[in-house]
Amino acid sequence: MNSSLSKSKKRRTVGIYIFFIIGSCIMIFPFVWMLLTSFKTVGESMQIPPTILPNSWSLDTYKDALKSLPFLALYKNTILLIFWRVVCAVVFSSMAGYAFAKLEFKGKNILFAIVLMQMMLPSQIFLIPQYKMLAKLGLTNSIFALVFPGLVSAFGTFFLRQAYMGIPDEIAEAARLDGCNQWQIFSKIMVPLTTSSMAALGIFTAVFAYGDLMWPLVVNTDINMMTLSSGLATLRGQFSTNFPVLMAGSLLAMLPMVIIYLVFQKHLIEGVAMTGGK
Amino acid sequence: MSKAKRQEAFWGYLMVAPTIIGLIVLNFYPFFDTLKLSFAKTLPFGLYKMQGIDNYVKMFSSAEFWKATWNTIYFCILTVPIGVFISLIVAIMLNSKIKGRTAFRAIFFLPMVVAPAAVAMVWKWMFNTEYGIINSVLHAHINWVSNPHIIMITCAIVAIWSAVGYDAVLLLSGLQNISKSYYEAASLDGASKIQQFFHITLPMVSPTLFVVIITRLMASLKVYDIIYMIVEQSNPVLTDAQSLMYLFYRESFVSGNQGLGSAIVIWTVFLIGIVTAVQFVGQKKWVNYEI
Amino acid sequence: MKRLKRMVAVFMMVVLVLALAACGKSSKTKDGKTLLTFQIWDVAQKDGMQAICDAYSKKNPDVKIEVQVTSWDEYWTKLEAAAVSNQMPDIFWMHTNEILKYADYGKLADLTDLYEDENYYKEHFSDVSIANSQGSDGHIYAVPKDKDTVCLVYNKEMFDEAKVSYPDENWTWDDLTEASQKIYDATGKYGYMAYGDDQLGYWNFVYQNGGYILTKDKEKGGFDQKATRDAMKYYINLQKEDWCPDQNYFAETSPGTAFFSGEGAMFLEGNWNLLSEMKNYPDMVGKWDVAVLPKCPNPESGDGRATISNGLGYATSATGKNLEIVKDFLRFAGSEEGQRIQGESGAAIPAYEGLEDTWIKVFDDFDYVIDVQKCVDMFDYSVQSVNNKYRSVWKPKVTEELLKIYSGKVSIDKGLDKINEYINTAKNDE
Repeated sequence: MNSSLSKSKKRRTVGIYIFFIIGSCIMIFPFVWMLLTSFKTVGESMQIPPTILPNSWSLDTYKDALKSLPFLALYKNTILLIFWRVVCAVVFSSMAGYAFAKLEFKGKNILFAIVLMQMMLPSQIFLIPQYKMLAKLGLTNSIFALVFPGLVSAFGTFFLRQAYMGIPDEIAEAARLDGCNQWQIFSKIMVPLTTSSMAALGIFTAVFAYGDLMWPLVVNTDINMMTLSSGLATLRGQFSTNFPVLMAGSLLAMLPMVIIYLVFQKHLIEGVAMTGGK
Repeated sequence: MSKAKRQEAFWGYLMVAPTIIGLIVLNFYPFFDTLKLSFAKTLPFGLYKMQGIDNYVKMFSSAEFWKATWNTIYFCILTVPIGVFISLIVAIMLNSKIKGRTAFRAIFFLPMVVAPAAVAMVWKWMFNTEYGIINSVLHAHINWVSNPHIIMITCAIVAIWSAVGYDAVLLLSGLQNISKSYYEAASLDGASKIQQFFHITLPMVSPTLFVVIITRLMASLKVYDIIYMIVEQSNPVLTDAQSLMYLFYRESFVSGNQGLGSAIVIWTVFLIGIVTAVQFVGQKKWVNYEI
Repeated sequence: MKRLKRMVAVFMMVVLVLALAACGKSSKTKDGKTLLTFQIWDVAQKDGMQAICDAYSKKNPDVKIEVQVTSWDEYWTKLEAAAVSNQMPDIFWMHTNEILKYADYGKLADLTDLYEDENYYKEHFSDVSIANSQGSDGHIYAVPKDKDTVCLVYNKEMFDEAKVSYPDENWTWDDLTEASQKIYDATGKYGYMAYGDDQLGYWNFVYQNGGYILTKDKEKGGFDQKATRDAMKYYINLQKEDWCPDQNYFAETSPGTAFFSGEGAMFLEGNWNLLSEMKNYPDMVGKWDVAVLPKCPNPESGDGRATISNGLGYATSATGKNLEIVKDFLRFAGSEEGQRIQGESGAAIPAYEGLEDTWIKVFDDFDYVIDVQKCVDMFDYSVQSVNNKYRSVWKPKVTEELLKIYSGKVSIDKGLDKINEYINTAKNDE
């Protein structure tokens, strides 16, 4: 009885491993193919049937990609974009989330409805009006322009409100009796209690800021002010269907983010898990 | 009103002010601008004149528009049930106690940290009819990117591949909240694994599952990036693949017809509104909150 | 309290950075020079444009000009949005596709009187170049920058293998199809790749056959004309041949990519791409060459010869802050010196008459010299690229209808009727 149980358990474990190995292959293969293609010449990439390994490991495609895009500037811009979007989202959403969760004021529900409604709207419709505002201020082609649509975050407000709702009112009450004013209660007591939620929001914001394509493309046209995503789209415009160069460019664009991810993946994933788990 | 109450309200307004002002300027003003433009005839360079419901009449009588609406719904049908189902399986597998599961979790999550532009590019290359690795492996000659009947499936595969890790991580956190004692009790009663899944796992994970389904549905209704990167505007299957937001992009930015584009956005918001309404009703009806 | 302080510090930093970002956008550099921006869409020409700017700065040390590149697809979205808010770059390229829209809505500075000599444009630029720079009112809104033609690019090795002689001046459409068939039979590779493009495709065939896309007054479409329709049918049906890939193939592989990876023997290419193709495909140098377009053997009218010629222009905003300085730069860009620098950089064939050789000489640097003189020879019978004020309205619809024809969803006749209707009714949409 005991041995048959452990046998079926073993069989199940093997099954799970097989599932994961096949699944992992599917998940990783596109990246492997990207890497292999990036070393091929255009001619070789179009052989039928495709060669798996490149005939020679030439770095010319990387040279072409590096020549066409100022990668250092792109890395820098992307990092600044992510940094400021995260700071803005976390700071402003913390304040608003706390107020919506814990403070009483007239019109709160209507104001919160504004937050909820924003989450329903497709972001493309903001593109032209937001661009016009920036252009009027003469601020296109700047880091501020990249950050602009992410100055405040409806999702972040909603998410941190949930976090603050989970904190019992008694804690704030006790602080009030100790003579703290509202701002002190917020900054000294409440904010420290939500650090993990703030981290989660920060990670979430970073991932989406990194993937944002349309906005950076339109607002910063100077190639030195582009982000990795919009730079990549520009590369596609130049090399159309020359896939080896496109793959080399994609890899160069991905590299820093993937390295950061591999180092911090545990925190990253757990952070994201929080944003949806409620 | 007491002083404390007044003070509380003061802080309340002060603290929501940046967010609310930001949302009004960045999002609400543009939305109402869009609403207004949907009733206007737009000319180049931001000029327009009001004209009533012409854009809507034109939109509802356009075959292209209905095709785009269907494409969007079809994309949702392809990505949401299948995508969420796969994510659930992955999540359940990740929830088992085996060695190396954090590594597997990291691998499935990887597409999230890669720019969608890069993801779409490599998939498009792999799906290439003549030189793509996929046809080569399958020994087939499938027009993944240029057959009108297949193109949506191609886009859906890429979308599911991109999102499966993210959804699985969310679902996993839901699964981990289920107390082990339920399963132990069920095992003692002689319930099979499949019975346990339907009678314990599914009801218990339903709140998270619901959130995942709704967010995936919302994202799919607004889909644009992936299709834009895979189906260029010179591709013959464009009309068979363009989603509502792609049609909006082409009308507004390529054809310079912002009025019609705005009407398309309003229609999309209307569809999203329906989903949201279903969400509110459905949450009470179908989701089990007794954990 | 520490946390609060830290938070305040962050706020201050945000404000500070925003303020700095706002300061950075003035049109003066730190040392008091005037800084102008110059927006273009072709990376391959960036160095050439910067060379012109630097030459100008050498003469006018107070002015610094910065060239910015954005890709073609975003260029127009961006420029229109900039025009709406009067934030256009100081100098930018204009294209025949768009110039009428921008000029007619008063967005471009009138440059008719840019040169004191009122015959300057006429003396130094061809009629086609001038036409490409005019608004609907006949005024000049852009300084002609370059001119181009469409040529036939062919793979010599494939011709040798199939024992077909290379394309020459006497080639006709029949030779094109015959050679394609022979190459396909001998090598299994594609022959002429008849991509469903306008400028790099059917427009050339239509005009060779004596047809037209737009009437002379640019008001009506020409797709109801027999000559136009016959040429369209001929061109579209080429994709039915075994030796020609179909439009689905082109959706995934551009004809240029297919050619330079040795998958096809011929395609139509704009001369402006030749230099970067020499540089980007070093392995192919010596294996391919350039010929004039084959002529129509039995045209409805005319001698059967045509190539679409387009040209860009340098333009500036009607409401620019530095209009006088910019105009002075534009004068330089349109001068013999400015145009010569452009040609010598290999960027494009200068619009300035008589400087064609500067561009041709650039190709001397390669081990194998392709016959780019052919591109210049074709100016004798070139046709101005097709445009009217409503082009942006009808163009997407025409492309879409054409794709329907290619995919067999509508018959050629019905599709062409529809295309003509789109062109004729485009102005009602405006």
